[in-house]
Parts: sequence; structure tokens; C-alpha cells
Amino acid sequence: MTRLLQFAAGLAFAAALTLPAIVRASEPDDVIEYRKNIMKTLGAQAAALNATLQGKAPAESFTLHAQVLAIAASEALIAFTPKVEGGDSKPEVWAKWDDFSKKMKEFAANTADLAKTAEAGGAAAAQPKMQGALTCKGCHDTYRQPLKK
Amino acid sequence: MTSFVKIVGGFAIVAVIAASAVPFVARADDKDAIDYRENIMKSLDAQTADLGMIVSTQIPDDNLVAHTKALAILAKQAQKSFESKIPGGDAKPELWANYADFQKRMDDFVAKTADMAASAEKGGMPVVMEKMVPALTCKGCHDLYRVKK
Repeated sequence: MTRLLQFAAGLAFAAALTLPAIVRASEPDDVIEYRKNIMKTLGAQAAALNATLQGKAPAESFTLHAQVLAIAASEALIAFTPKVEGGDSKPEVWAKWDDFSKKMKEFAANTADLAKTAEAGGAAAAQPKMQGALTCKGCHDTYRQPLKK
Repeated sequence: MTSFVKIVGGFAIVAVIAASAVPFVARADDKDAIDYRENIMKSLDAQTADLGMIVSTQIPDDNLVAHTKALAILAKQAQKSFESKIPGGDAKPELWANYADFQKRMDDFVAKTADMAASAEKGGMPVVMEKMVPALTCKGCHDLYRVKK
């Protein structure tokens, strides 16, 4: 019985040590920094994708940029799910979560389609899908704080 | 004498126009190439920072594999973006002087980030923790080839 008690106490102690590390909620500042990094990636990759079309960068890199945009869009979808207010997010993100969430899902699906089309047919095939996939401004106008000049 | 002064003056004007026009054209092209590779480096930095936040348990690991995949593709983009060999930006002159070494380091970076991404899908966090340091050798290369910030 004593051994059993010791074992149980040991287990409880181990659980107390490890559990908070596994299930602890992220700090709000971390969540905001994390999603800002994803948005930075999206901004930089959208600019680079455009550069490949304008002859300012290697044309064959178009697909690589489309692929990263698709991945970053899928990351962004997850990054907002903790619903942490602040950063550049307007309160409307949380007030109209269903609409925001729907737009993010469309963004992830459309960029994934853009990347697949580029993988199969290159920039020429994918270019007509760009405008429909990169709807950054539509979402930013409604849900992002105006950028400081 | 007056006409000599006029001729010299004329030459001077032509020289000023030429001096201002030629570098302008060169700068415009160079700036595009530099902006382009800086966008890729920004994306690498943002995705690395986010992967670091996941590994240090500040953020849940839902996007773990996505970040490793993005990094593998971004490494390929980076490798291609330097092939134009345009000096300037944050690239030290040593980058072009030791281009074979730089290229070898970029090849390693591409191979190791690809390996980390492939392993992450199967092995998750423990594998990423093992492969992250040898794959993300950013500092080693920056110390040699990037202008100090």
C-alpha cells in the first residue's frame, strides 16, 4: 500500500510538472507576434510573386511563391483561431467571426488551387487565378487597422 | 577661349547627364533584384521565428509541418534569387568573391530544410527539434556574407 501510494504520488508530481507545459494557453502577445509573422510572409511572398511576373525576378520561381502563399494561407487560418484581440486586427474580426473565418477558408482554398495550377501548368496557367486567390485587400479593408504612415 | 570654355562646359553637361542617367538605370534593375531577395529573406526570418515559437511551446504545434514545408521552399527561392549575382543590399562583397562557398552553403540549406520538412510529416516535433539546428544555419552564413545590422 505504501508503495502504491508512493507511485501514485510520483505520478501526480510528474503530471503536475509536465501538464502545464503541454496545455498552457499561449500568451496573447505571442499569439499576435506569431500571426504577424505569417502576415509578413504573405506580404513578402505576394510582392515576390508579382516581381516574377514583371520580369524583375526569375520567372521560374512563380510556382515556388504560389506554394508558399498556399502554405502561409493555411497557417493564417489556424493562427487566428485562438481569437486573441489586438495587434492590427480590428474588433470586427471577432464581432463578425463567421464572415472572417469564411474569407480565410476561401483564401486558403484559392491559394492552394493557385499553387496546384502553377505546379501543373506554370505561371501562364495560374495567372488568371491570381486575382481571385489573392484577395488580401478585401479582407484588410474590413478587418485590419489602417497602417501607420 | 570663350568657345573653348563653351566646349568644356558642354562636355561637363553631357558628363553630368551621363553620370546621372547610367547609374539610375543600373540602380533601378539592381533595386528590383535586391528588393526581391530581401522579400525572400524576410519570409525566411518570419517562418523561422514562428517555428521557434512552436518548438519553445509558446504556440501550439498545429502548424509545425506547414512551417517546415514553407522553409524548404523558401530556401529554394533564396538560392535562385542570388543567381543574378547583383551586388548591394545587405550582401557583403565576400558573397561574390567566395561565390562557390556561398553556393555550397545554399545547396546544404536547401537539402537540409527539405529533409527536415519530409521528416516532420512522419516524425513531428521530436524530429524537428533534432533537425532544426543543422538545417537552419542562418547565422553561420549571415556572419560571413551579410552586412552587420
